[in-house]
Amino acid sequence: MDWKSGRLPLAGLRVVDWSLYWAGPYLGMMLHDLGAEVIKVEAPAHCDPMRTVIDVNRYSGDTGKPLTAEQRANISQHFNEWNRGKLGIGVELADPRGRQIFLDLVTQSHIVIENHRPGAKDKLGIAYSDVVETKPDIIYASLSGFGQTLPERDAMALGSPVELPSGLFLRNGYLDDDTPAKTGFSYGDPVGALAALSAVLLAVRQWRKSGEGRYLDIAMRDALSFGIGTAFTDWSMNGAARSRTGNRHPVYAPQGVYRAKGDDQWVAISVRDDRDWQALVGVVGAHDWQNADIESRRDNHDEIDAAIEAWTSEREARDIEGELQAVGVPAGAVLDFAQLKVDPQMTARGAFAEIEHPVFGVELRATSQWARGDRPQPLERPAPCFGQHNREILTGLLGMDAWVVDDLEREGVIADRIKVSGD
Amino acid sequence: MDVLSDLKVVELSRTAAAAFAGRLCADAGAEVVLLEPPGGHPLRHEGPFRDDLPDPETSAAHLHANAGKRSVTIDLETQAAAAVRLVAGADILLTDVPRDVLDPVGLSWADLSARAPTLLMTRITPFGDTGPYARYAGSNLVCLALGGQLKITGDPGRPPLTNFGSQAEYQAGLSAFAGTVANVLLRDASGEGEYLELSVQDVVATNLEQRGTSFNLGLVANRAGLTVSATYGVYPCRDGWVYLTAFAPALWDRLKSVVKLEVLDDERFSSQASRLENNDELQAILTEWTLSKSSEELREFARQGYPLTVAEDEESLLACEQWERRGYVRNVDHPAAGNVSVLGSPWLAGEATDIKPAPMLGDSNDLLEGLG
Repeated sequence: MDWKSGRLPLAGLRVVDWSLYWAGPYLGMMLHDLGAEVIKVEAPAHCDPMRTVIDVNRYSGDTGKPLTAEQRANISQHFNEWNRGKLGIGVELADPRGRQIFLDLVTQSHIVIENHRPGAKDKLGIAYSDVVETKPDIIYASLSGFGQTLPERDAMALGSPVELPSGLFLRNGYLDDDTPAKTGFSYGDPVGALAALSAVLLAVRQWRKSGEGRYLDIAMRDALSFGIGTAFTDWSMNGAARSRTGNRHPVYAPQGVYRAKGDDQWVAISVRDDRDWQALVGVVGAHDWQNADIESRRDNHDEIDAAIEAWTSEREARDIEGELQAVGVPAGAVLDFAQLKVDPQMTARGAFAEIEHPVFGVELRATSQWARGDRPQPLERPAPCFGQHNREILTGLLGMDAWVVDDLEREGVIADRIKVSGD
Repeated sequence: MDVLSDLKVVELSRTAAAAFAGRLCADAGAEVVLLEPPGGHPLRHEGPFRDDLPDPETSAAHLHANAGKRSVTIDLETQAAAAVRLVAGADILLTDVPRDVLDPVGLSWADLSARAPTLLMTRITPFGDTGPYARYAGSNLVCLALGGQLKITGDPGRPPLTNFGSQAEYQAGLSAFAGTVANVLLRDASGEGEYLELSVQDVVATNLEQRGTSFNLGLVANRAGLTVSATYGVYPCRDGWVYLTAFAPALWDRLKSVVKLEVLDDERFSSQASRLENNDELQAILTEWTLSKSSEELREFARQGYPLTVAEDEESLLACEQWERRGYVRNVDHPAAGNVSVLGSPWLAGEATDIKPAPMLGDSNDLLEGLG
């Protein structure tokens, strides 16, 4: 893959992206990263909620004069992060003319992705069964919480809440704690998006070979559960409840997150084997445990942790990382977002790049995770403002006359501003 | 979806990252040969095991991540030439082995691509081939730390907490698989090989939710424990846990319609802003309600589309009707572990694709015959 020359696997393909929140938009953005042209479809009265549900003022600290939803719509840093590179159209899908525009877009495309609640696409008449009539070889991917099958089809799930019914939540938690823990962000979304991306790419290969499209039904819950598949296989063999393991590892010992100097500063350390242990003792001290083998290190993990933390808590996390890495022991400062933004490795590898957004201004965005080293991805297009490319898409791709587009706009079938209701 | 059934994959892995990517290749129909050190892949030595008796054939991590593969034991120090020949005859090399090990024995991308110009090579390492951490040692936990996901998980006032399992490596495995299939598409068109290098730290940082608000608005998120706010967080119920999701106006109305308490119509809770202002009172009211409900009652509400989810464990999920309908749980007969359940790939719902059990150590060593 090469972004500068455009040698990308999905070059020449077009995606209709009817997505919202995080998982679907991220999937669409990765399809863009791999070379597809992606058209984000939103309805004026039902825009992607990521544009508006998060009040920017909560982050700017300026709660005195909160921005209206309309003011937030084009500057949301959640929305703009996960819709980079797409074109945007604002079309009222509940209107028959709007629905027809959707179907016409599909006819000009190769892939449809959506992550609305199962049922929404049927209600609007834009489900796979509706579009396949006019576009028989379409690849249509639905990403939902639980999948398109009953009995759980209609259950609502966002990427964080879906962690509970995946099994992951009850396994998470501090060592031997009775209370489980949830991952600190909407973990089901990126995992679901990556699983759906794999399914779409496999379907593209099948389509290129056979000319046949297909429907794909991906569930975020399934993708999360797959990541802890070990627990399900264990249960099927042993039927035993397991206690929570916190930051410890099934093999490595010691492993932990240790307090470093400063407020809320931490360092993660893994000792994989006896060699790592001798190297760590050489730096840290902990001579009482110098000759401890793996069994002994596991049996005395608490005491060893205390000895390590006595050393780490006097030192800066980055210094500890440097000292231990110098002797080949896996160690890393626990970075917050501000530290991540300037992390030398991220920066050196071109993980983040600036892009100019027409309303927000300069934004720092992540580049594709596959574009690294000598294959950087120049960011060319920020996330679309609501309805930003209505005219370009309708007159260009769909070949409509300008006066027809004027009429559609006058009658509210298309719009370049969101329609707001409630708070 | 046997889309990769024309492809041969050699997986030279030591962590769950490449192992997950290889498992997904096998699920997509590819023939996957796992090259293991003579003592077996490290996942074979991770507990838990059948009956909790350590046995490299019955580790649950191995049974899950290596399902559908063939096993060849090979000592890279003495049998490198055979490994190189095996790889040169394959379509894809998946590896997470450091360059210090690969390069001296002829398994560098430069050497391999000269010998096998159509080879696709995907290499997953903790920090990638380039940059100041290129030679850093890594682990799942350390990559979560340096990738930014660790700091935000756990309770305020307690240390950052990893989630269960090898989640950094799982994310990297998913990403490596997608990137590899992307390269398959390129090769289908060009007939040329491709190299993909992927860093676990990169993948972790790429998958971070609040990066945009942090980088561009200055918010630095931190650990929030179980509850972000009264309308978005985990509550205890009578016999388990429930997540209430009502942070947007329409969701709040839906939640009110199932909680059915008049007090929620108070002025104090009439807008998003006022709900945040009166967060603690609201949380107390909702806690009283959730504690009065059982998981079974709440599960029924969830199925009807009310904005909540209920915590499930392995036992309830393996028996759940949804997964039965989706054909997600596969039961395989393994020579050492017996009949065990293995989850299918997330995109295999409803597919008839067969999942084979994980291999016995060295079950395909005959593939080395004649390779020197």
